[in-house]
Parts: sequence; structure tokens; C-alpha cells
Amino acid sequence: MLGMIMNIDINNSLYGVCPKGWRNVASACISGGLLYMLLMFCGLGLFSSNSIAAAADELNCVLCHKYRGLSRIDEKGDFRLFYINQGLFNKGPHKRIQCKDCHTDIDKIPHDPAKDVDCTVQCHLTEPSGEEKFTHKPVAEVLAKSVHGTANMDEEEIEYPEDYPYCTDCHDQPLYRPLSFFKGQAAGVSERGLSRCKTCHQTGDFAEDFYNHVTSRLQKMRVSAEIVNLCAKCHGDGKFQERHGLQGNVVASYWETFHGKAAYFGSDATPDCIDCHVVYGENVHSIAGKDSRTSATHEANVAATCRASECHANAGEQIAGYQVHTDYDDPDKYPMQHYMLKFFKYLMAGVMYFFVTIIFLELLRRLFPNFSFFKPRKEIRQTTISTAGNE
Amino acid sequence: MLDALKAIIRTLYIIALMGFTLWYGYFLYPVIFGTTEVETEEDFASQEIEAFFGEGTTEEEKEFMKSLKQQQRISTTDLGYMVIEEQYVKGHFHHVGMKVETDDNSICTRCHGAVPHDKAKTIRAFLNMHAFYMACETCHVRPEDDEQEWEFRWYDKATGKVVANPPGLNTLDESMYGNYSAKISPGGIKQDGSFKFINGPKELAFVERYLKEEGRLDDTQKSKMKKVIHRNVNEDPLICDGCHTISDEPYLPFTLLGYPQRRLHELTSTEVVGMINKYQEFYIPNLLRGGGVDKDVETE
Repeated sequence: MLGMIMNIDINNSLYGVCPKGWRNVASACISGGLLYMLLMFCGLGLFSSNSIAAAADELNCVLCHKYRGLSRIDEKGDFRLFYINQGLFNKGPHKRIQCKDCHTDIDKIPHDPAKDVDCTVQCHLTEPSGEEKFTHKPVAEVLAKSVHGTANMDEEEIEYPEDYPYCTDCHDQPLYRPLSFFKGQAAGVSERGLSRCKTCHQTGDFAEDFYNHVTSRLQKMRVSAEIVNLCAKCHGDGKFQERHGLQGNVVASYWETFHGKAAYFGSDATPDCIDCHVVYGENVHSIAGKDSRTSATHEANVAATCRASECHANAGEQIAGYQVHTDYDDPDKYPMQHYMLKFFKYLMAGVMYFFVTIIFLELLRRLFPNFSFFKPRKEIRQTTISTAGNE
Repeated sequence: MLDALKAIIRTLYIIALMGFTLWYGYFLYPVIFGTTEVETEEDFASQEIEAFFGEGTTEEEKEFMKSLKQQQRISTTDLGYMVIEEQYVKGHFHHVGMKVETDDNSICTRCHGAVPHDKAKTIRAFLNMHAFYMACETCHVRPEDDEQEWEFRWYDKATGKVVANPPGLNTLDESMYGNYSAKISPGGIKQDGSFKFINGPKELAFVERYLKEEGRLDDTQKSKMKKVIHRNVNEDPLICDGCHTISDEPYLPFTLLGYPQRRLHELTSTEVVGMINKYQEFYIPNLLRGGGVDKDVETE
């Protein structure tokens, strides 16, 4: 039934740019996935803990940390803010873990200077599919082996280790992005949909958390523009690109594309960096460099990446020839594009300014219908005669 | 007459169209040939310094460059059903969920900034927390024995004018505690019955003038002027139990300042007062007790 409910509108908006046949497949998969996940989690509990509805703040940390100005400048000169916006904190999956699960070394008041949070520690939640304590360690291991990690590199190969990202360089506190599928798809929680869950699951916030968690995971956690801006924190920095021998300003060139413009104007369905640089269906943390045979952007794989089911599913091999990161300012690398762009710019300017000039002159003529730089001969002669007569 | 009016309207219409055509030609150029993004004053300042220092050679220069680039940066998170726009804090994991108004009317923050407390390691964050909604003068300028007790009012961070008690004091949303766009500051009642903050627009103008002209003063004159500016600053600032006390008369008149009973109970609750006592017993630095030095600082 959930699948049926979801099918109502998912074709119209979530995959608005996809071929229709694939839309049906995609929506069916998502509906099925949602149903499967709901059933699985309903049976096992999303993350079982002693008290799933218990507030995260059993230690009453917000007694102090609820104040916006709780802050200081640290020894490195960085601004450190210790404020916790509880309202927003409770809108994400971390709401059910305690402060001390992450800030493990804080055990007294006043606190000693705390260490940086290690995202790979185990928290008190139990991951339901394996009945093991939950940790982000597997994600960190995948990241370490990716192009963003150093696990596959020899020590002497690692240049600029400070440039390699840690979890918090890309992730801020995750927040749910729930979807409503009840009589049409919309952003947010469907109270009517939720009320059905609550028919059976009445204890605490179980149903809300579940609903939020699952529907958020069925879509992108960030809109396309946010993803691009996130990657731009490093890859939009020319000096960073230079240090690592990467192609020029890949962010600016992305914004120049149709994809980039759609993302700029708020499209959620247009491909962002992740869609093209992560192998379809793989963990987003596993991005490989384009020279790697397993990379989504390796020349042998580009066509397959573009033909991912949500995108150009029926495109031919030639789609791999589409140059996403064209630098129009670089005549050496992209001479055809560079000079073609110049040609069209001047052509456009020539046409437009020609007509603007014509219109201006036409208006000028209407303002001064008899004006002329050269007086007609007849008029000159008459003027001469009348001047002579007067004399 | 009618013909003349028609001719005037026609002429004006043509002139307007000519103006529009000229503007359109001007407008077309960046549309066709592109333009650089509009740069803010901060960008210009940053570029000027970058041109002078390069990327910055010393840590101090690099830090300065970084600060300029991060000024007033806003971070946006789109949740579909709501968009969160918040102050960007580099490396900060948790969402702040709000933009922060700067206090444009404090004479102290001109030099000391908005996060001024640093010496007392264990309580500096708490002191900075109070600086978010209390003017420095509240604790650091206290009436002399022969002076009349201060009156306290809220002032708007943007305008510096006295405002009514903030409605935000009554919120049940704890995330908004302390975030009132206003600060408490001391003052007195003038003879005409109006209220005047001890540091108002006149004092602010004086400090701004001093900062502007500082370069023209010699070192001795600078020291003299600093002494003048800080003449009211009390060596013994108000400490926590002045307000967080179960006494009937805390230093700040919470009720008059608009704190509802619920908040008053929180501020003077056993929970808060007890914790402060714990801090005082072990950690309140001598620095804040007048003339002393923080133990932590001493051992550094």
C-alpha cells in the first residue's frame, strides 16, 4: 500500500527530468525500498537502545549550552562556539545519542579542554541489521581508501596531508529532510501518513523518528547547489587544485553547464558533483580519481555514468564526449570552444548593438523630423535670395 | 492647446524611449560579455591586504586574511520544508540556526571585540556568554560608594536606543535564550526624568574619534587617553553570585528587566547557583576577585 501511495506523484516531481519508463522503475524501487526498510526496522527497531525515546541530554548539558554566546577564542585564534540549538539538534538522527557519546572525554564540570570528536567511536545505539554497536568506522575506512584518503598511498606519496578531508570538513550536523507521499509528494512530514504509523507505534517519538529517518534517506540529503558549494570549499580553490595537480577551476566550469545552471536555479534533480563522480549505486565516500579504472569518471566509464537510470538512460556512447569542465578562458586546452564562444559573443553584440543603434536613430528622427547636417540646395538658394532682398 | 499638450507628451515619450534604448545598450554588455561578481567591501579590503602581504607570510597575517574572508558569511541548509540560514562558523559541526546581530553601539567592543574574555580559562566561555546580552559596563562599571545605584535598561544592539523589555524573554524555546537583539546596560535617571546609559552616543563618538586620530598621538598621549576612556572601569567586577543568588535582591533587577518568574527561578535555582558555587569553590580566578591573577594563568 505504501508503494501505491508513493507511486501517485513521485513520477511528477522527484524524477521530473527522467524518461518516463525509468521513472516508473525508479519509483517502484523506492517504494519497495521504503516498504522493505519500514518492515525491517519495524521488526528490529531502527536503532535499539535502552530507551529509544529518551532525550539525548540526560546529563543536562543544555543547562549551559543553550546560551548562544557560550564561546571563546582558542589558542590558535579560532572562534569556538559551544552553543547547541536544541530545536535543530532534535531535527536530525543524532537526537537520540547523548552528548557524551561523541564528546567522550568530557567528564567533569568545569570541563577540561576537550579533544576533537572522533566520529569512528562506538555510540550506545545498536545497529539493527548486525546487532552491533553503531559506529561510523566503516564509512571512515571507505573514505580512507578513496581519492580523499591516504590509505592506498605510500608515505612518501602523501603531499599536503592537511588537505585531505576529515568527516566534519564535509558534514555538519545531519538534519532530516522528510518527504510526504500522502496524496502527492511534498517536502515535510505527512501528518496523515504519520498517523497511520502511530496506529500501532504509539510509544514516544518512535514513529516520527522512523518516518523522518527513512524518508530522508530516500532522497538526497542536500540540494544540488549545496553539494557543489561543499566540494567548492576545496576544489574551488585554485591553489588547492594546483597543489594536487588537478584541472583548473572545475567549479566555475560546472556552473557554466546546463546542469550547473539548473542547480543554480534550485533544481534538486539536476546532477551535482556526486552524481557524476560516484559510481552508480556505490557509497558516496568511495570516489576514485579519474585515472583509476574503477572511477565513475574514468574515460571508459563516463558513458555508463551518464546513462545512470535517473539521467540519460537511452543515450549512446557519444555522450561520453560531453565536456563538463570546459575552461572557455583556456585557448590552449580548448581552442575550439574558446574561439567559438568569442565568435558568438561578438556576433551577438554586433546584431544587438546594430538594432539598438537603428532604434535610437529612429527615435532621434521622430524628435527632430526636419533636422539635417546638410541643408537642401533649394532651401539654401531661397535663404540667399531673401537675405539679398532684405539688403 | 490640446495639440501643444499632445506634442509635449509625444516628445517626452520619445525621450523616455531613447533613454531606455541607451540603458538597454549599457545593460546588454555584461549580459553578452559577462561580468565579474559584485564584490563586497570586505572583498576589496581582503584583496588590498593580499596584494600587500601576498597570501600572508606570518601566522598573524594568515589569520587576518582568513578572518576577512569569513566576515559575516552565511551558511544555508535547505531541508525542503524549511531553509536554515545561519552564521557560518568555520569547523562548527552543530547548526546555529540564526544570524547574529553585531553590537554597533558598545564602546568596549570597538577594541575588545564581541568575545573579550580569555584570561580565566575555566569560565571564559561563560563570561563571553553573558557578553552576548549584557553590556560590559553591567559588570565592569559599578557605582562608587557615594554614587546612586545604577538603573538598568535594555538597549537595541543596532540603534543603541533604550528598548522595551524583549518579548524573547518569555519564549519557551530554550534555543533562543540570550538572543534578544538587545543588551542590558546600566545608567541613571537624569534631572528631567529621562534615562541615560553611562556610555551613550556621546561616549561612543568620543571613542570613535580617538580611534580615528590615534595615529596622530604620541605614545604618552595614547596612554593618557586610554586611562581616560577606562576611567569608569571597576577593578572588582561583578561576579556570578551577585546575580545568581537566592537572595531577594540580586544585583540585576530581573523582574524589572522583564524576566518572567519561570526564568527568574531558573537563574536563581539551586541547579545554577549550586553549579556556580562549585565553580567558585575551585575555579573562580583571583583575577575576578580584584587585583589577583588566575591560577591557571599563573601556571601557564
